[in-house]
Amino acid sequence: MTKVEAIIQVSKLEAVKDALHEVGVEGMTVFEARGHGRQKGHTEFYRGREYTVDLIPKVKLEIVLGDEMVEKAVNAIATAARTGKIGDGKIFLSRIDEAIRIRNDERGESVL
Amino acid sequence: MNDVATVSGELRELYVRDSAAIQQEFLATGDGRAAIARRTALVDSILLRLWSEIISSDPAGPAKFTLVATGGYGRGWLFPFSDIDILFLHAGSETEVILKDSIRRFSQELWDLRLKLSPATRTLAECERLDTNNVEFAISLLDCRYLAGDPELYQRLRDKTVPKLVARESHSLIQDLGEITRARHHKFGNTVFHLEPNVKDGPGGLRDYNVSGWLALISAMEKLGMWPETKTLLPVSSRRAMEAALDFQVSVRCFLHFRHGRHDNTLTWDAQDEAAARKIGVAYEDVSDAAGWMRVYFGHVRSVHRVCAQLMEEIPAAWSSLYRQFQGWRKKISSDDFSVVDGLVFLQQPTALQDPEKLLGLFHFIAEHGLKLSTTTEYKVEQALPALAATPPRGGELWLYLQETLVQPHAADALRAMNALHLLTLLLPELKGIEALVVRDFYHRYTVDEHSFLAIEHLHRLKESKSEWDQRFADLLAELEQPELLYLSLLLHDSGKATPGESHVDSSLVLTETCTERLDLDAEDRERVRFLVGSHLEMSVAMRRDVFDPMNVKTFAEKMGEPEHLKMLCLMTYADIKAVNPDAMTPWKADNLWQLYIASANYLNRSADERVHTGEDGAGVGQANLAHLHSLAPVAGKKINVFLEGLPQRYLRIHGATDVLAHAEMAAHLGQNGVQCSLKQARHWYELTMLTTDRPFLFASISGALAAWGMNIVKANAFSNAAGIVVDTFYFTDRFRTLEMNVQEWDRLKKSIADVVKGEADVARMLRDRLKSEKGGDTKVKIETQIAFDDQSSVHCTLVQVLTQDRPGLLYRMCSLISKHNCNIEIALIETEGQMAIDVFYLTSGGSKLNAREQTDLDRSLREELARQ
Repeated sequence: MTKVEAIIQVSKLEAVKDALHEVGVEGMTVFEARGHGRQKGHTEFYRGREYTVDLIPKVKLEIVLGDEMVEKAVNAIATAARTGKIGDGKIFLSRIDEAIRIRNDERGESVL
Repeated sequence: MNDVATVSGELRELYVRDSAAIQQEFLATGDGRAAIARRTALVDSILLRLWSEIISSDPAGPAKFTLVATGGYGRGWLFPFSDIDILFLHAGSETEVILKDSIRRFSQELWDLRLKLSPATRTLAECERLDTNNVEFAISLLDCRYLAGDPELYQRLRDKTVPKLVARESHSLIQDLGEITRARHHKFGNTVFHLEPNVKDGPGGLRDYNVSGWLALISAMEKLGMWPETKTLLPVSSRRAMEAALDFQVSVRCFLHFRHGRHDNTLTWDAQDEAAARKIGVAYEDVSDAAGWMRVYFGHVRSVHRVCAQLMEEIPAAWSSLYRQFQGWRKKISSDDFSVVDGLVFLQQPTALQDPEKLLGLFHFIAEHGLKLSTTTEYKVEQALPALAATPPRGGELWLYLQETLVQPHAADALRAMNALHLLTLLLPELKGIEALVVRDFYHRYTVDEHSFLAIEHLHRLKESKSEWDQRFADLLAELEQPELLYLSLLLHDSGKATPGESHVDSSLVLTETCTERLDLDAEDRERVRFLVGSHLEMSVAMRRDVFDPMNVKTFAEKMGEPEHLKMLCLMTYADIKAVNPDAMTPWKADNLWQLYIASANYLNRSADERVHTGEDGAGVGQANLAHLHSLAPVAGKKINVFLEGLPQRYLRIHGATDVLAHAEMAAHLGQNGVQCSLKQARHWYELTMLTTDRPFLFASISGALAAWGMNIVKANAFSNAAGIVVDTFYFTDRFRTLEMNVQEWDRLKKSIADVVKGEADVARMLRDRLKSEKGGDTKVKIETQIAFDDQSSVHCTLVQVLTQDRPGLLYRMCSLISKHNCNIEIALIETEGQMAIDVFYLTSGGSKLNAREQTDLDRSLREELARQ
C-alpha cells in the first residue's frame, strides 16, 4: 500500500477530485494548507497597511491506495492540477505498512 | 437465603425478558412515559431481590444503612440504556466497615447483569456537606427515593439533611447549576436549532427540563425550609407546554435508545425519518414528513429552553454584589413602556401591546439592551398577535422599526424572540418557509432560520472580538453606509431554501422582491439587497479559485462594481460561513477572504479610468448598463451616448440609471448655463453634483467652497467625458445644520459654488474666514500621512493615493497644490473613514503620466502641505 500526498492549488481541487473519481479513487482526505516552494509570497497594500502573505493557500490531499492504483492516481492528479507555472504543487509517495478498519478490526488492502 | 448464583441467573432472565417486553410495548404504543416507568419498576424489583439475598432478608433492614435511588433513577425516569444512580447511605462509619464486602458483592451482581450502575457511598453527615467539586451529587439528592434498608435513616436524609443542605447552600447550588448549564448550552452554540440535535443535553432538551425543575425546587426550599409541592413549582403559564414537551421528548429519547441499542441521544437524520414515519410523540398531530416532525420537535424544545433560560434569570445565579450591581444597572434602563426586573422585560401598562408601535418598540428595546421577555410579557404579545395579523404593519413604517432593530447590538436575540412568538413571520411572511427548517448537508449545523440569526449575531459581535481577523472585518463593518441593508439581506439570503428547485438563490431573490416591496424600500436600497442576496455565494466561489490571480480578482471585482457592494458582500460572506458551524470559519478561510477583499478593493480603485465607449465596438461592463439606459429613455439615446462617451466605466458603476439620465439632461443645458448644479439630501448626507467644462483648479475650487460653508466632505468623485465635460459629485455632512435649518440656504450654497467655479468669488478668502472662526478640533486618532505613486495600474494616468488626518479644507489644500504643479485631476476618489482621509487621484501632466521628477516634486510638496495643521 502507498500513501499519496498531493499539495495542489486551491482552484484545482474540484478538477483533481473529478479526475481521481474517474480512475476509480473514491475516498480521500482534504486539508486546508499553506506553504510555498519556489513560488514566493504576495504583498498587497490596503489603507496604508502592508499585507504580506508569505505562505500561499493550498490544499493537501491524502489517499492511501493499493499499489496497482498508485500510478493511475498520480497521473490523474498531475494532469488535473497542472498549469505549467510555478506553484502547481507536489506529489509525495510513501509506503504504508498496515491499514485497519476501526469498525471491525479488519486489516490489509481490503480496508481501503 | 438462596444461592446467589441461582438468583443471578433468574434475575438475568427476568431482566432480558422484561426489557424485551418493555421494548415491544413501546414499539406498539410509542408511550415513552410508560416505558421509563416500567423499566424503573423492573430495576427496583431486581435491586430488592438482590438486597434480600446479599444485604438483608428484611427489606427494611439492616439498621443504620439504606439504599437510595438518586438522579434520573430516583425520579423514576429510567430510559432503556440510562445509568442507574444509587446511594449506599450509612448513618455513620461503623456500618461502612461491616457492610463493605456485601456492598461490593451487591454492586458486582448488578454489573454482571449488565446494568450500568453508578453507585455512591456516603454517610449522612457527608450528604449534608456541599462538595464543590461534585455539585452533581448534591443535585442528584433532589430526586432521592427510598429503595430498601433503614426507612428512618432515609427519612432523616429526605426531611432534614437535604432541606438543610439546600437552605444553607442554595446560592452556591443555583450558581453552580447555572454555570454548568450555561457551559452545556455554550457547547451546543446556545441554540436549540441543531440539524441533528441531542435530545438530552442540547439546549431545550430533557436536561433543561430537569434544570428548570431543580432551580424552582431549590428556590422554593430555600424559602420554605422544607420540601414544597412539586406539581406547582413551574410557572403556571408554562406548565402545560412543559408537560407536553416532556411527553414528547421522553418518547423520542426512548425511541433513540431502542433504535441505537445503546445510550445515544443524537437525533440523526435517519432517526428523524424513522421517527416521523412512526409518528413518535405525535400520534394525534398531522405530521407527514421529517421536516414537519422536526418542526414539532423544535416547538417543544423551544418551550423548555425558554422556561429554563427565564428561570436562570429569575432565580439569579449569584446574589453577589456584582450581580446585583448589574441587575441594578438593568433596572435603570426601564422606560415609560417597559420595566426591567432581573433581566426580564415587563410591561408598564398591561394593554400597551394593543398599539403596534409599542409591540414593535418592545423588540427594539430587547435588541438594544439584550434582555429577555418575561413569561407574562410573552403571553401579552401572543394575545396581541390576532389583532396585528388582521392589519399587519407594512411599508416604510415597518421598515423604519425593522431597520432600527436590525442595527442594534442584540438584534439576533430580538429576532429569535419575534420568531419564537411567530411575530417575525407575521411581519415578513417570506421567512415562514425557513422557520425551524432542517436542510440536510454535511456542513450546516443549525436550522435555516437560526443560521440567518446567527449570521447577524456574528456581525454584531465583531466589535467585541479581540481576534486580529475579526478586528479587520469589524473595521469594515464600521465603514458601511447602510448596515441595515446588510442585515436585511442576511435575514433573507436563504429564505428560498424551503422552495423546491435547483437554486435556492433564485427562490430567495423572488422572496426578496416581495419582501422589499412590502417594506417599501426605495429603488436603490432594493437593488442593493437584491444584489447581496443574489450574489451571496459569489465570494465563496471566487475564494475557491486563486485569490492572488489578477484575472480572478478582476472578474470578481467587476461583478461587485462598486466598493460599497464589495464591502457588504465580504461581510456577508464572513457571517454566512461563520454561521454554518462553529469551526467553519478557519483562519485559512478568513485570510483568503481578506486577501480577496483587499485585492478586489484595490482593483476597483486602480481601474477607475477604463472608459465607456458607446460605439458598436464598445465592450465591457458598461454595455449592459447602456442598453438598460436606452431602454429607459429611447428617444434620448443619442444624447446619452454623447454624454457617456469617454466617461470612466466606474461612473456607470456608481451612478444608477436615474442619476445618469439627470446628468445627461444637465449636460444638454450647459449651452444655456455653463455651470449646472444639483443638490439633494440623501439619508446620511447631502449630495452635490456639478457639471461644467473642465478647467484648472475646478475640483479644488468646489471642495474649497464646500469647506468654506462648513460642510464636511466624506466622499467625492470626479469624472470627465470625451467632450471635456466634468461630472463632480460631492457627498457631505452639514456640520452646522445650515441647510437643515434654513431652506433658503440651499439656493445660496448652489449660487456660491457656481460663483467660485466661474471665478466670480474668491474661494481662498472664503475658506480663510471659515478656518479663522473655527478652533482646531481634537484629534482622537493620530493618522500618519502616507503618499504612494502608482504608474502601473492605469494606461494613461499616474495614481496617487494619499492617506492622512482628515481636517477642514483638506481636499481644497491638496487639490490646489496638485493644480499648482500643473497636474490635471482626471479622476478623484475621495473617502473618509473616521478621522482618516483616503484619497486616490488619477493625474496627468500635459496629457501624459507624471514623470519621475514631477512625482518627486509633488510628493515633497504634498508632504510639506500635509505636515501643516
